[in-house]
Amino acid sequence: MRLRLPLIATGVVVAVLIAWWGAAWLAAERKLAPLGTLGGDRGSYRVTLDFAPERFHQLRLQEAGRLVEVRDRTVFMMDVTPAALHGIAGEYWVDSVAKWDGK
Amino acid sequence: MSGTLTLPAPAPHRVFGRRAARALRGAAGVLLLLVGWQISVPLVGMSSYFYPAPSDVVASFTDLVRKGILPVYFADSMERYFAGLIAGALLGVVFGVLIGLHRTVAVTLSPLLKFLFAIVEVAWIPIFVVWFGYGWKTIFLALIYVVFFPVLYNTLLGVRTAPQILVNALRSLGASRWQVLCYAILPSALPGIITGLRVGAGFAFRGLVFAEMVAAKTGIGYLIFEGTQTQQTARTIVGMVVMGLTWLAIDLCYLRPLERATIERWGLTVDAEQRT
Repeated sequence: MRLRLPLIATGVVVAVLIAWWGAAWLAAERKLAPLGTLGGDRGSYRVTLDFAPERFHQLRLQEAGRLVEVRDRTVFMMDVTPAALHGIAGEYWVDSVAKWDGK
Repeated sequence: MSGTLTLPAPAPHRVFGRRAARALRGAAGVLLLLVGWQISVPLVGMSSYFYPAPSDVVASFTDLVRKGILPVYFADSMERYFAGLIAGALLGVVFGVLIGLHRTVAVTLSPLLKFLFAIVEVAWIPIFVVWFGYGWKTIFLALIYVVFFPVLYNTLLGVRTAPQILVNALRSLGASRWQVLCYAILPSALPGIITGLRVGAGFAFRGLVFAEMVAAKTGIGYLIFEGTQTQQTARTIVGMVVMGLTWLAIDLCYLRPLERATIERWGLTVDAEQRT
């Protein structure tokens, strides 16, 4: 079949995307497990990266909630919904997520 | 007895061997360039901001992947590119067929299309930013604009040069206008459409990078722009390399197979590689 290569290429792209989303979901579940049940309320969290966050990371995190402070590799955030937190935790460049008491 | 001499097709292992040799020669050329570039860095003696080494580019690539920046930028660029390409191509084909088949539509739209064709996509981006803001919508519309015209004009050419004998034959057999369109005109116009798509895809790729430099905060084009703004020239080169490799992959995996399935299949061109 003459269009075999485009079909294979598209299949590979779709497979990679599905694997990526699956891995992100599993990573998020693993990182959020220590926090227990989050409920439906917005909360404040400390997000620790593997490196000092750049502008890209700060912009990405701002989409999830209010960025309050950046200290070394840790970003302090408020008003983060559970769904947004799950999205952040799924990023492979996020090392850990912990609750923050706002101080 | 036929006077035609038919040569046997080359054995599959010989075809593979020829392709592998060609690929190796190409790879050797690239390797030579990289080695020469790496050796020239200490000789030039400039800082990595002005003249990064290939090793700096590789380190920057690794850093961008580790930090999650390159995958997101690449995904955003591809999403915009394919969305704009598909939408622009569909509009180009629809208008090409309409203008090709209906004189009233042709007379009405031609002056406007000729006027718009003269305005480069770059000139539209500032007004798109005013209307739609920075980001996806502006880039999507800019890409539609870039792809639309090559697909339109090549589709129009294909429709107008569809063999009249085929159209007449179908009509004489009682075919409806829709059947004539589907069974004679569109198949005849398909090589033209694919040619337009190939040209449009190339224009869209270049247009994407420029549009992202001006009207986006993510994407490969933005990476190229941001790299020099933040004195990380190696990142700019990473963006350029990713651009080049992505285009090679799109051409190899999509455009050339489409061409082979349509234009070359019907003997309208000869693949230049077959001559070498």
